[in-house]
Amino acid sequence: MTRASMNGRIGGFTTDPSHVGPIVRARRVWDYRRILWVLVKGDLKVRYSDSVLGYLWTVLEPLLMSLVFWFIFTKLFIRGDPRFTDPYIVFLLSGQLPWYWFNAAVSGTTKSLLGEAQMVRSTNVPRELWVLRTILAKGAEFIFSLPVLIAFILFYRPHINIEILYWPVAFLLEWLLLVGLGLMLASVTVLVRDVDRIVRIILRVLFYGSPVLYSINQGRIEKVAWLYTVNPIAGILDLFRVGIFPLEMDRNRVIVASIETVVIFVLGIFVFARLERQILKEI
Amino acid sequence: MDEPVISLRDVGICFSKNRKRRRSLRDLVLHGSPAPKAGEFWPFRHVNLDIRRGEAIGVVGRNGQGKSTLLSLIAGVLLPDEGTVTVREGVAPLIAITGGFEGELSARENIYLVSQLHGMTRAEIDEEFDEIVEFSEVGEFLDTPFKHFSSGMKVRLAFSVVSRLREPILLIDEVLAVGDKAFRNKCYARIQNILEGGDTTLFLVSHSAAHLSRFCTRGIYLLDGQIRADGPIDDVIRQYEIDTDTLEEDLADSDL
Repeated sequence: MTRASMNGRIGGFTTDPSHVGPIVRARRVWDYRRILWVLVKGDLKVRYSDSVLGYLWTVLEPLLMSLVFWFIFTKLFIRGDPRFTDPYIVFLLSGQLPWYWFNAAVSGTTKSLLGEAQMVRSTNVPRELWVLRTILAKGAEFIFSLPVLIAFILFYRPHINIEILYWPVAFLLEWLLLVGLGLMLASVTVLVRDVDRIVRIILRVLFYGSPVLYSINQGRIEKVAWLYTVNPIAGILDLFRVGIFPLEMDRNRVIVASIETVVIFVLGIFVFARLERQILKEI
Repeated sequence: MDEPVISLRDVGICFSKNRKRRRSLRDLVLHGSPAPKAGEFWPFRHVNLDIRRGEAIGVVGRNGQGKSTLLSLIAGVLLPDEGTVTVREGVAPLIAITGGFEGELSARENIYLVSQLHGMTRAEIDEEFDEIVEFSEVGEFLDTPFKHFSSGMKVRLAFSVVSRLREPILLIDEVLAVGDKAFRNKCYARIQNILEGGDTTLFLVSHSAAHLSRFCTRGIYLLDGQIRADGPIDDVIRQYEIDTDTLEEDLADSDL
């Protein structure tokens, strides 16, 4: 009765404390999945109909950046033992594309509530939707950019092992990590406005601090190896690459990354629920 | 069956009086806590209210007495700090009426987006589409981005869409002060029309006694965040006017 009225439409709510736990919230998001889809489609439409090059932008940026890095690290500098990263352009793209998703989604979610302040203030959809839509729209762009990687794989024909099956697991982990981070960042930014600047700096540090351009095995990093274990992106990238670059796989890194991801995901849900009341007043 | 569609139980909401409500990271680091320093105020506290289906309620009160806060709480776009708000049916809020519209998208896309945000299906919108467009008088500009609309056109389109959401609860917060007279009259006719169905619950915030008594049966008078009077609309308006006149006399006296 409170969830769906007679024609199957959604509406109604209660702020009764016994009715606002995480399960109720999750169910409400699920009830609004069709609307989430509408929002994501709207985002993609704006993204692809507003610029002349449309789809090309999705593939052009990571492709160009990868070509630049490929040039720098195969022609100008010596890359270290090529065993770990050959074919290098495939290595680069298989890290760059997931990284682009992470980067775009994190900076996007930071503004996902503030940027839609008018909407948030006038529509009673579950507020999590504004965060999820950004992550999903960027995730869709990530998927759309994969043909570039596939093209290079078909060209170089590297050996692909069975562990390529970990790829969807990596995708799921990155998605969970982004939801957790996104829920925290979106809500905190409403209350403390300059968080988005800090986030931009951290993203930059993380780009070089994660094995996107290089393999962890290449350098003499024993003393800072723990940094890569702590950084969940390193473990997730391992999983994305393990099908083609099995030497990248480090079981401990992946396990730690998975635990961190789940913790951040749960934390994000609680932080968001905790701050929601304050957000609505201040937005 | 007689369960109220809207009920407020001992509801209170608290805002910070502090003018600098937005905190920067510097404050957070230097002062440790993100919480604002003392000085909270309660625009709304210990409020109890039950509304049955089909009631048409007029809300009166001077500025800053909690009228918009009340509507926002019912619309679910503010959450109470105390007590419980329960709304058992969907709400079509004509509060920040153009708020749900996306500047980058065309009028056509916005009609679909906003209607879908309120749970309508594409088929339902297709059915209503021509009427929405006709009512809004923006037919020529269906494919123009919303951001290029004049403010009058924005309100016209927004009203046409929101008033057709088929939501059983309708909240109207003085939006009709905008727009030209001819369009305003059309809006009132439309509201009248919705009300005649008998199933729609209406909340109308207005300073116009004429409009209030035309549409509403029950009145709620808010003063200092409390319900000062709740009863037949004409009685409530009368009391509000008496109070306001006394206040003006007081002010006039204190001027002497």
